[in-house]
Amino acid sequence: MRIWTAAFALVLGAACSGCAATAVRPWDRDLLAKKQMRFVPLPMEYAVDEHIYFSKEGSIGGHGVGGGGCGCN
Amino acid sequence: MQLDEATRPPTVLSRLRAAACVLLAVGAPAMSHADATSAKYQLDATTLLYGEASRTRVVEPVARITRFFGGGGSLGAQFALDVITGASPTGARPAGGVQTVTTPSGNTQIVGAGQLPATSFNDVRGAVDLDWLQPIGAVFGAATGAHYSLEKDYQSAGVSEMLSFETMHRLTTLTVGGGYNRDDVFPTGGTPVGLSTGGELTGVDRNSKEVTSLMVGVSRVLSRRWLVGINATRSDERGYLTEPYKVVSLLDPTTQEPVGHLTELRPSSRQRTDVLGSSVYHLARDILYASYRYYWDDWGLRSQTLDFKYRAELGGEVFLQPHVRFYTQSDADFFTLGLVNGAPLPTHASSDQRLSHFNSVTAGLTYGFKLPGYAGVFTVRGEYIGQFERVNLVQEPGEAEEEGEEENGGAPVTSDAFPRLNIGTLTISYSLSF
Repeated sequence: MRIWTAAFALVLGAACSGCAATAVRPWDRDLLAKKQMRFVPLPMEYAVDEHIYFSKEGSIGGHGVGGGGCGCN
Repeated sequence: MQLDEATRPPTVLSRLRAAACVLLAVGAPAMSHADATSAKYQLDATTLLYGEASRTRVVEPVARITRFFGGGGSLGAQFALDVITGASPTGARPAGGVQTVTTPSGNTQIVGAGQLPATSFNDVRGAVDLDWLQPIGAVFGAATGAHYSLEKDYQSAGVSEMLSFETMHRLTTLTVGGGYNRDDVFPTGGTPVGLSTGGELTGVDRNSKEVTSLMVGVSRVLSRRWLVGINATRSDERGYLTEPYKVVSLLDPTTQEPVGHLTELRPSSRQRTDVLGSSVYHLARDILYASYRYYWDDWGLRSQTLDFKYRAELGGEVFLQPHVRFYTQSDADFFTLGLVNGAPLPTHASSDQRLSHFNSVTAGLTYGFKLPGYAGVFTVRGEYIGQFERVNLVQEPGEAEEEGEEENGGAPVTSDAFPRLNIGTLTISYSLSF
């Protein structure tokens, strides 16, 4: 539980630490507006990858929550 | 300066859409931006060809349709089919001579000397994912998802909700999400009693498994070129978490040769936590993606994952994207390569390779392009995944107890416990907005 609280504090701290970051004005967002400027640039491929790693490894998690399980043997 | 549609800053909904693309992390509905914001529909189609050397083969076609609405919302539906054939290791150890292995599902196999026992199988899995994205005011957004999948011996149904909030001049996005899944496992031939010879059944045909997930995350624009984020996810699993077809070898205390097998048995609850840090950086023309994930659970398994992608823009929506991923995990407390025959049985035991220590490397290359005369974008990706270095993982009998961990009753293991696993994948995708 303590680790979970620490993780939550880390997330909150990361949010607040950006308060003094250099301002990025709306007219400076040309690059950020590109659809490839996302954490998951190719969502379909990412979903396929997550299914593979879920089936072959002991850990899961990342960008989402929940998820459909499978009887992957 | 008036921004046109193509260069308008991302709204909370577009951020949420990016996050919601993995709302359901496994078999997820893959959300996508429309190529042009004026498009009403987007069609995505992907086919995965997956092959393990001498083992499992999978063909997985996935189709997705997204309807965009004027207010920024969207509805999406995704359909997937997994056709799986091949063989999967049972968990039993190789023997110096020919051995007979009876799996919990009643199959009897003759396994040659030195060979890792594996059981043949084939299955078809169908999955449907639905998602709905809706803006709430100027800075809030909601993504709602639902999932259903069915295969021969497994059913999964779940819902999820994700809320996002943009603040600090839209430089920071806070995200909170939750999911609930209710799965049912109905093993072929009945549910075997754990740590038994496999002939005994529990009498329960359908075994339930519930998964509750919570996620908090924040992403932050650090500069015109740089976006970073951090997510923390916690999931609680309860119910039938055992793999009904896996077994654990009973080893002769002197020769270490397998003399019999028991079904595996895992705890009925698991708490998983992970923290993921991500970065997207726009260079002069290309884009660098990097992420690091640390994972831990109360089964004693820890893992670390490093992932890098580099998108080299070649002009006109043509790109090359190399990808490398490094993964390492420790073994679960109750993982064992075999139990000493005649020794007291542990509370839980599994020889599933996915619960053992190993390292893994992924290397791949994606090529994105357009074809003359065809609208839309094609991508072709080839990847190699190697799992290796499974080494001394299991404590000597009694050692784990001294460390305050669960007694696994395991036998000592050697450094060549598992052969290297080589996997090749080919993914072909097509995306069209209209």
